[in-house]
Amino acid sequence: MVRAHASSDLQPTPMEQPSSSSAYGFLTVVDSPTHGLFGGYLLVDAAGRPLEFHCTAPVKVSRAQQILYGATLQGHLHGQQIGAALLAEASVEPLVVLTDLDSMLAVRPHTDLPVALVTRADAAAGFELGTAKVTAAGADPAAETVLRERLEPLAAVVDLHEPFDRIRAAIEEAQRH
Amino acid sequence: MTGPTAAAAAVRSFRVADLALPGVRVLPAVDPRIAGPSALRLPIEFSEPRVVRLPLLDVRPAVSSFSFAPAVAPAALAPPRATPGRRAPGEPPPPAEPPAPRRTRITPPRDVVKLSERFFFLLQPHLETILETSRLEFPRQPFPFQFDGMAFLLPRHGAVLADEMGLGKSMQAISSLRLLIRSGQAKRVLVVCPKGLVSNWARELADWAPELVVAVIEGEQARRRWQWSLTDVPVKLANYEAVVRDRELVAELGLEFDLVVLDEAQRIKNRSSQTSHAIRDLKRSRSWALTGTPVENSAEDLVSLFEFVAPGHLNDRMSPRALGAAAADHVLRRTKDKVLTDMPPRLNRDERIELSPEQRETYRRAEEEGVLRLSALGNEATIQNVFELVLRLKQICNFDTATGESAKLDCLEAELEEIHASGRKSLVFSQWVQTLGRLKDRLERFGALEYHGGMSTAARDEAIRKFKHDKKHGVLLLSYGAGAVGLNLQFSQYVFLFDRWWNPAIEDQAINRAHRIGAVGAVTVTRYLSVDTIEERIDEVLRSKRDLSDTILSQAEAPASSGLTADEIFSLFKLTPPRRAAA
Repeated sequence: MVRAHASSDLQPTPMEQPSSSSAYGFLTVVDSPTHGLFGGYLLVDAAGRPLEFHCTAPVKVSRAQQILYGATLQGHLHGQQIGAALLAEASVEPLVVLTDLDSMLAVRPHTDLPVALVTRADAAAGFELGTAKVTAAGADPAAETVLRERLEPLAAVVDLHEPFDRIRAAIEEAQRH
Repeated sequence: MTGPTAAAAAVRSFRVADLALPGVRVLPAVDPRIAGPSALRLPIEFSEPRVVRLPLLDVRPAVSSFSFAPAVAPAALAPPRATPGRRAPGEPPPPAEPPAPRRTRITPPRDVVKLSERFFFLLQPHLETILETSRLEFPRQPFPFQFDGMAFLLPRHGAVLADEMGLGKSMQAISSLRLLIRSGQAKRVLVVCPKGLVSNWARELADWAPELVVAVIEGEQARRRWQWSLTDVPVKLANYEAVVRDRELVAELGLEFDLVVLDEAQRIKNRSSQTSHAIRDLKRSRSWALTGTPVENSAEDLVSLFEFVAPGHLNDRMSPRALGAAAADHVLRRTKDKVLTDMPPRLNRDERIELSPEQRETYRRAEEEGVLRLSALGNEATIQNVFELVLRLKQICNFDTATGESAKLDCLEAELEEIHASGRKSLVFSQWVQTLGRLKDRLERFGALEYHGGMSTAARDEAIRKFKHDKKHGVLLLSYGAGAVGLNLQFSQYVFLFDRWWNPAIEDQAINRAHRIGAVGAVTVTRYLSVDTIEERIDEVLRSKRDLSDTILSQAEAPASSGLTADEIFSLFKLTPPRRAAA
């Protein structure tokens, strides 16, 4: 006799809300040729486990908008529109918000959280953590020390590029669904 | 409104003269050189243009949110290494430890349809990270394909782990159930295995999940009742017979399990058996079946297995191809040649033995008399009659019933001399316990030990212990029934099949006691076949048949069965099976 499994079986019973001091945010945008831009924001704990995930409805940009915004378009879309909308929805306040898109650093004026860019280890700027290089938004040297201290525990167990792959996989899944 | 759209909104009607474009002379509406009242007047103002509004990107997109409770207890969530303390000025930071290179993703099974549940799996870190941060230690590093096996089991409520024998099915199941228990997703787990493997499973659980308390269901009824009703024990271990015997007790106690793991799950292939009914009656939310032979004889075996794993998912009317397709997401099967490319090889030798003259004479007489009897029975001959003759002839191939001579044993003895001298260990399999006893007498000087169903569990465990640890015991004599499943004897480099079983899958299971993970060198398998006897004929029939298991699991065309049919058994003696009207 098989008992039907409910979704609660997959997700353990709610536990105490994790302290915001152990959360990390990963923020990126996936460009789908058919649907448009999807924003994804994943909050993980210090062990890299998911706490929250937020994703946007697709945003389509017209040719006219591309012309009107010119070079400012990506920063405006990623940072001001998508990034800010996603950060506003999170109930957990992370230690750091990481992004793998330069244009997403434009979210910085819309949040009090430290925001940093994760690049490959061979990038010129930033400090190394595992296989990644991290650059603080605004290239503030003081911010770099804080960022390093905050990110080291996470980087010890998770490749800092890896959570972005999860976001992309989840957004792909959402498009299929 | 700001930006280009605001500018567009400010556009109004204008006159040409207002343009005052540099270098362009604007003519008046009426040329003064043309006189007269009939002169035309042309309008100098344009009609008001249509305003075009371009939507700006100032509306934030809608956001969908999903939250996940931590999957493991908070204590276990802490990073495995302490957060580095404050460094002295100028002191270089310690480098972050590079993550392990192997990465295994847990992907949601097809039957998980809710997006939030699919996200739950897709957003998990790699399995290796989960294990590392959960502080789960293993007695040895699992192979990459074993991580894949765990990633297969973990998200599935119904799963068949059908790896070839020797690839560590129990270890993969134990590690997975350990993670489920650690994460709080399972609190009550029941492992069911054949009686002879209970102590083996207890050992494996102690090795691979040392922190888990395990209750072995055994002993008198009052004791079993107490063991079944223990609530603070996460894992209960029972044999199939105990589950059948305590069927009503389990129902009376209202036991429900978060996970039931069946080892050697082919035990429930007969759907109408008491065992199958008792197992299917267990209330459970997850059902995992472990078996190296999900299809032992016919496609029905797999359908029966699915009555436990995913009831109603398969049925007998499905073609082998359809069965394969429907079962695909629930079944994971890997073979050694695919995943263990660096595993020591298995060398097969078919040793053809000439019976001694006396043995040959006994055999000839028995066969002639037997065939004559069968012929005399005519249409009354049953498959049972033929079967009895086969068994009798096979026994003569082992030992001459008149003189006790055995050409096979002479050969085995000679081979064991050399193997024993080199300090290597050998396994010898036979269909009959009586044969094992006679072998033991002759192979005493090699320290031969017996292992069969006629011995108590304690005696069998003791035999294994001695064979493993005591150098003077170089030979273990096993029956196919008791010794073909679940034992880890990978320190043995020689396997002898003294007589042949009816089904090659059972022989493979026997061989894989030695040829499995941890094997220290090549495993040599010697199959004895008495020349020009029933053994050779059975071997030919089995060889000519295709492997149904592989067919279904690879969704190719299927043969009818991999065992011997009634026609084939009669044809061993060139007899035609009787055709009865009712049949």
